[in-house]
Amino acid sequence: MVQTPTGAGKQKGISNLAQAEERTAWWLLLPSLIVLVAIAIYPLGRVFYSSFTNERFASPGHRTEYVGFSNYLTLLTLTIRAIPYEIDPATGERIYQNPRLFLRRLDTPRPFDQVRTFELFGTRYVLGATNARFVNAVIDTLVFTVANVTFTTLLGLIVALTLATKFFGRNAMRTAMLVPWAIITVVSALIWEWMFKSNRSGFFNALFDHLNWADGNIGFLTEPLLQLPSVIIMDVWKTTPFMALLLLAGLSTIPNELYEAAEVDGASKIKRFFSITLPLLMPTLAVALVFRTLDALKVFDLFQVVFGERRYSMASFAQDMLISNRDVGLSSAASVVIFLAIFIFAIFYIRLLGVERNA
Amino acid sequence: MPKATRKLFGSVFFYLLVIAIFIYLMFPFYWALISALKPESELIRTPATFFPEQITLINFEAVLSNPRFLRSILNSVIVASLATLLSLLVGSFAGFALGKMRFRGRTPTMYAILAMTMFPQVAVLSGLFAVITVLQLPVMMSLVLSYLIFTLPFTVWVMTSFFRGLPVDLLQAAQVDGASFMQTFWHVLLPLTAPALVTTGLLAFIGAWNEYLFALTFTATQPQHQTVPVAIASLSGQFAMQEPVGEIMAGALIVTVPLVILVLIFQGRIVEGLTAGAVKG
Repeated sequence: MVQTPTGAGKQKGISNLAQAEERTAWWLLLPSLIVLVAIAIYPLGRVFYSSFTNERFASPGHRTEYVGFSNYLTLLTLTIRAIPYEIDPATGERIYQNPRLFLRRLDTPRPFDQVRTFELFGTRYVLGATNARFVNAVIDTLVFTVANVTFTTLLGLIVALTLATKFFGRNAMRTAMLVPWAIITVVSALIWEWMFKSNRSGFFNALFDHLNWADGNIGFLTEPLLQLPSVIIMDVWKTTPFMALLLLAGLSTIPNELYEAAEVDGASKIKRFFSITLPLLMPTLAVALVFRTLDALKVFDLFQVVFGERRYSMASFAQDMLISNRDVGLSSAASVVIFLAIFIFAIFYIRLLGVERNA
Repeated sequence: MPKATRKLFGSVFFYLLVIAIFIYLMFPFYWALISALKPESELIRTPATFFPEQITLINFEAVLSNPRFLRSILNSVIVASLATLLSLLVGSFAGFALGKMRFRGRTPTMYAILAMTMFPQVAVLSGLFAVITVLQLPVMMSLVLSYLIFTLPFTVWVMTSFFRGLPVDLLQAAQVDGASFMQTFWHVLLPLTAPALVTTGLLAFIGAWNEYLFALTFTATQPQHQTVPVAIASLSGQFAMQEPVGEIMAGALIVTVPLVILVLIFQGRIVEGLTAGAVKG
């Protein structure tokens, strides 16, 4: 092809146009990028930086120094030891030492605190940590997340399958579902806290008493063993609607002909669910699982309102270290741990489930 | 069993399930309502009454005459509205660029924005707190700015997909007519995306209205700037002896009413916005 002067001019014009478009695009993006750098990227960098210092805030006379990985070591140093015991000559039973005192006497540079004791193959062990509160917060957050995601998915699936059929009052139900989702988490926590009250003025204790199931003084939120299940129940109530709505939207994309064909072939309802509904719902389910997991790992409101400083989630630990202890360094290190945990989960999930969001 | 009977059993079971789900979703609100309507003497009675024997509005009156609570509603309205408007304004520019324009670095930017929507807020807590303290930003302003951390990436993400769905012809027609990018943006695209703006704005507003972590941390020393979640959580702490359960429940219902109204009006839009991106149509 012979390049005419006009042709060259035209091409140059196009590339100029493309350049102009590129410039405009970046100008349009600029405000968002500036905002995100200022409120997310820069503070994140600062959090990383202060996690390696002993920075404190509002503490006159305190000099901030570089402390290396000290904050991380404080948060994450663990030990598992068999608890020493003596055998009672009279009964032949083992008498274990007090695990807390045993850990104290170990004489390590950082004293260990007891996280919990457990038995394995007949020997009793103690799990110790230099910061038992954080390790407990990590364990609690993980248990909370796994339980929450499991129950929310199961319940959400039931609700979505129910609402997928057309029936009288379906629209009202969809509205009813949005309310727990929209309500302020703090508010729902306060309502449930009142329902879980540890005497019979609370709903559950009054109900259990009425049904003669219990004496009506169950400390749902004070009894250590019941605390986590109770907040999981609260959060499942709050987050199931979101899950159900996502799954409902996913269900509506499954073509009806598939079910009709399966029905003609004589497939049972259960068979239809496992060979049509579930596989086709997988992509939606995957995205919903990612959202729920990441959200549950970040849990703050519920733990802060219900437990305050009595029991922590990872996020409420970081916030409390900052505000109550003014320990910017330790709080930052905890924040970094949460950030990395969520980052790894996100990548892991995206890889595992092959989530592709059209970018 | 004859087929007709089986069908009847089936639909009875189905409606029982629907009713059970409805009760599960609504019961906490019922409990909050009857608790707010009970007088103090009935509230602390054991066992609790499942239907109030006496009805009083005293709890509502008490909480509505609490200046700190009222102030917090105003604070929340201001903060949530500003955060929403700002992220719609800034975010729709970015959404337009990402959804409708060609440029190098578009895909990495998209991924960065997507990653930002999953960003844990607690990860920047101490850093933001330090910035705010150093710059001595007013509390309300720092709340508005910090809320952009979750409202903005979300807005950009949703607006990008809405802009992308718009026909290219319209844009080209405007360009042929000699309109500049800005003119095309304001006069052609923005009116068309008004529904998307409403959806995104609603979700951003609800997110900002509900936010607790930043609000609690940044108002720790300045209670006059507390937003609704912080104020309502601290109602219990104001009186040392007795927890004012009735008032807390009344306050809980009062701040929930606006959300219920929003949900009733915009139900379809909210669902659409929530499921956008999660479901491939």
